[in-house]
This record gives sequence, C-alpha cells and structure tokens, in this order.
Amino acid sequence: MGKKELRVAFLLALRSLQRGSRSSVILTILIIGMCFTNMIFLPGLFNGIGQSITKQVVDYEIGNVLVSPKSGERYISDMDATLDLINGMPGVERATPHFSKGATLTYRKRVLGATVRAIRPNDEKLISPLYTKMVAGSYLGDADTGEVIIGKPLAGDASVKEKDEFQASLGGVRVGDSITMDYGNGYVKDYRVKGIFYTGWYQSDTAVYVSYTDMALADPRAADNAEYITVKIKPGYSEKFVKDELQQYGVSEKVQTTADLLEKSMGRALQSFAIINMVSLIVGIIITTVVLFIVITIKTINSRRQIGILKAIGVDKEVIMHNYGFQVVIMSVLGILFGLVLTLLMAAYLAAHPIVTPEWSATLYLTPWDLVQNSLILFAASLVAGYVPAYQVSREDIQSAMRA
Amino acid sequence: MIQISDLTKIYRMGTVEVRALDGVTLDIAKGEFVGIMGASGSGKTTLLHMLGLLDDPTKGKINIEGTDVLALSDYEKTMFRLYKLGYVFQDYALVPDLTVMENVSLPAMLRKDRSEEQIRKDSDFVLERIGLLDRCDHLPRELSGGQQQRVSIARAIVNKPDILFADEPCANLDTENSRMVLDLFHDINEEMKQTIVMVSHEDWHKEYFHRIVRLKDGKVVSDGTNPSAH
Repeated sequence: MGKKELRVAFLLALRSLQRGSRSSVILTILIIGMCFTNMIFLPGLFNGIGQSITKQVVDYEIGNVLVSPKSGERYISDMDATLDLINGMPGVERATPHFSKGATLTYRKRVLGATVRAIRPNDEKLISPLYTKMVAGSYLGDADTGEVIIGKPLAGDASVKEKDEFQASLGGVRVGDSITMDYGNGYVKDYRVKGIFYTGWYQSDTAVYVSYTDMALADPRAADNAEYITVKIKPGYSEKFVKDELQQYGVSEKVQTTADLLEKSMGRALQSFAIINMVSLIVGIIITTVVLFIVITIKTINSRRQIGILKAIGVDKEVIMHNYGFQVVIMSVLGILFGLVLTLLMAAYLAAHPIVTPEWSATLYLTPWDLVQNSLILFAASLVAGYVPAYQVSREDIQSAMRA
Repeated sequence: MIQISDLTKIYRMGTVEVRALDGVTLDIAKGEFVGIMGASGSGKTTLLHMLGLLDDPTKGKINIEGTDVLALSDYEKTMFRLYKLGYVFQDYALVPDLTVMENVSLPAMLRKDRSEEQIRKDSDFVLERIGLLDRCDHLPRELSGGQQQRVSIARAIVNKPDILFADEPCANLDTENSRMVLDLFHDINEEMKQTIVMVSHEDWHKEYFHRIVRLKDGKVVSDGTNPSAH
C-alpha cells in the first residue's frame, strides 16, 4: 500500500464524511463521545472518591505513615524519645502524637458522647490542614488549657430543632460558649470553645480537639504516652522509604503507610470499584464497537454498487477497505475529542461543585494516562468495528457488488 | 490487440445452466471502434464484462496486447484495468461525493507514473475536451444525465487507456444527449486513435461503428465492417 493509494483512500473517506449523510456522521461522533465519557466518568468518580478519602485520611487521621503501639500494648510509652528518633530521620517532615479519649459533652440541655482528640497544636500544623479549616474563632495553641475546638456538625445549629437534625449535635455551640466534658474517669471540666472547624471529614468534624497539656490533666497517661504517632513525609520521599527507614533505624513500634492501612480498611471497596470500572469499560467498548460496526456495515451495504464500480475502474480493494477505515478513524478521533471535552467540562464542573457527603467530598479524578489509555482502547475498538465490514465488502467480487 | 478464443460463460442457477456466452472467438485491432449489438439477453454485456476483466469466463482465452489476462492475479487484474482499460457504464457510475474534477482525476491519482501536475493537466484536458471544465467543481447530482455520462467518459480516458469499453452508455439518455455522447466517442476514436468497444442495442448507433459484431444466444452471428460508418 503506497502513499498514493493511502491518499486516494483518505480523499474518498473525507469526501464521504463531508458530503454524505451528515446527520449519521454527527450521530456516530456523538455516540462515540458519549461512550468515551461513559467509559471514563464512573471510574474517574470512583477514583475521585478514593482520592478524597485517602486525602482526608492523610490530612486528618494518620498522616503519611502511622506509628502505633507494639502488639499487645495500648500506648507508645516512650513517646518523646520515639518522637525525637522519628523527627531526626531523613524524609520526615514532622511527627506528632495523638491521644484520644471518649467523653460526654453537655451544653445547656444537650448531652452528647464524642471523641476528644489530644494534639500538639503547633506540630499538628505541620501535619494536618486542620488549622486552616476554622470557620469561627481560632485554632488551639500548645499551652492552651481549658479551651477546645470542635467540629461544626458537633457544635450544631441553633436554628435547627433537635428532632429535625440530620445528626445529633450540641444544638448551636458558639465561640466563647462553655461546654462541660465528663471523661468517665471522674474528671469533669468546663471548657471554653475557642474555635469551630469544618473539614468535610466526618471523623474529625464530630470530634473535640484539646491540647496535649489539657489531656494530661484529664488522663495522666497522656503526659508521656501516645495512642499513635502520625508522620508527615517531605516532598520527594515515598511513604515506603520512610517506613523502611523507621523500621531499620530502631522504631520498634508498628509502622504502617497510608497505603497499607487503606488496603486493609478499603481493600474490598477498592476491589468492588475496580470491578464496576471494568464492567463500565467493557460496556462502553461493546456499545461503541457495535454502533460503529452497524454504521459501517450499513454504509458498505448501501455502497456495494459503488464499491464494484471503483474496483472496475482500477481502484484496489485495499484502497476501498482503507477508505472505510479512514472514515472510522476520523469519526473515532472526533468522537474521542468530543468525549474528552465533555469529560473535562464535567471534571471542571465537579471540581467547582464536588459531590459532598458527610464522609467525603468527591470530584472527578482523571490522570492524563487514564485519558490516553481510554482513548487508545476506544480507538482500537473502533478500528476493529470499522475494518471488519470494510474488509468483507472490499473482497466481494465485482459482479456481485455491481449487481447490488 | 484483443484476441478472444472460445469464450464461454455459463451461469448456474440451481440445476439450470444458462450459457450467456457460447464459444465466442473474436479479434479486435488497435484503433477500431467496434459495436457489439444484439437483443437483450444475447450476451453483449457479459462479453464486455469478460473483456473488461470484471468477470471470469467459464472457458476460453482473452489476450490483450500480448497478455493472457485471465492468468493474472486479482491485484494484477486491478492494475491492468487501471493502466490499460477504461470503462463507461450505462448509469454513469460516478462517485456521488466527489466533484467532477475529483471523479475524473481518481484513476489518474492511483497511477504511480503520474505527478500531481500531470494529473491536473490531464484532467483539465479531458474535461475541456468534453466541454465541462467550467463544471469541474460541481457534484454529479448537479449535472444532467448527458453531462454525467460525459464525465464518466472523461474518467475513462484520463489515463489514456489502450482500450475503452462502453456498456450501453446512451441507455439512459435522450436522443440529443445520446448523439452528443456518440459524437464524443467518435472524436476520441478519430483524434486519439482510441480503440473502443461499445455495447448497444439501439440500431441507429451503428452509424458510428467501424465494425459491428452481432450476438445472439451468446454466439457471434455476424461480424463485419460497417461501410456506412461516419
């Protein structure tokens, strides 16, 4: 197949698309575009949910690497020594301890159980964006005692009646208000609400944060114990590298990366997502293949006599086959471009208006590789769908084709 | 130029055999304008299809310019048609999505020995010759039947084929347009010394043919020069 033959095949294809049935061409391009969007939207959304959950977990729960007590122990007992060791490791941005305790919160007539999380506020700033999520008041300081920050859903809204609340709250706590916290160990204390935050991560938003100093008053074990230590890594380092470093250089506690933990907690969900993604991909490919197969089959059947004539005047069957091949290529490329535009518009819309739930907020998460991969898969499927009928009809003998 | 010997074509429809051609033997010399005439079903078109390499005979030989064309492969036959033969169909058979110029240029574009410039020059020349150069950007549907048939002729001669086959080219035309087309064939034959083999069942067309071969039931029943030709 030489350059001249390809040029003629391309000319025939181009003219057929330009001057043939425009509505059929436009419809085919729209269908390919929508199939592309269908192939990429659901997986992109699931990836977005996964990314959102991962980010929230990293930001508000465990950082990049979690150091937790050895098996059979409840706390990391030599907390400061462990923190010094971890903070001195290459690749570690900062490590900070966490200590959680359940408490009963009382505000006016509302009584509610909640988790109280003890943090070192200044270190926490290097690990979590919590301090940027204050919607009222201000963030905690290291030396703060008698002050707390609480999540907005937990603080509640005074304008919503208790029976109408989506989730139980303290009914409208404001900055400066006092709430009573009973830790269940006989330690009861009134705290002033210093700030109210909203992260969008349910576990954080339904918690109360106090300084480590304050927690040590409520539970003396917090003075030199951590329930777990969260570690933020420096840019350019991998979680795995830091985990290996920590284990190699003497951190005897249990060390897990975010990926390790998510694999355990969300492995099944991710597997389900992967299955749904695969089904969506296969359905998209089948629809596109069938549509293009039908379109090209109809085109070739309607053009059988013309195909016979072309062969009769000396046009080789390869040229005729590539003519339909090029038509499919052009329609596929335009369809995929249309699908890309549609997908990117939806991605932009969802970036501006994420799907928000109490647990997570998701956008469409697409990597360039996802777009390239799906484009190539759809393109390959289109080629098969177009070339099969084109191959069949181009091999028909002239007489049969011309009699059609 | 063309030697046909014992050419036979049998169509089988179930258990019934139809002999469309029955042992046709014929020689056609270079530069002849041969009319193949006969009633409907006499085998004229079948013979033309065999000569144009559009169909294979059941038996017999066709030799064109020293080439045993029936021994050629499928691809070689395609190339033979492209380089050596021109074909004009009864229903014009133009590609509806191509302009007049593109239709005419199409066979030339596939030839390896034609440059872009040469293709354009040749196409302009034949379109000028048929009087439709000013319509070169029109689509076939924008032309009359007679004009479409002239474009079909231009497409057939653009590659300067050795032989031009025409299968009842005037069947869909009125007398005026038919005469215009036949005059064109006549001029091409005269000026370019083009060998033309044309099928027709219209008796008045014979005035254009140098030689008339009459078929009946797939057999040659008469073959002779036409003294009353133009």
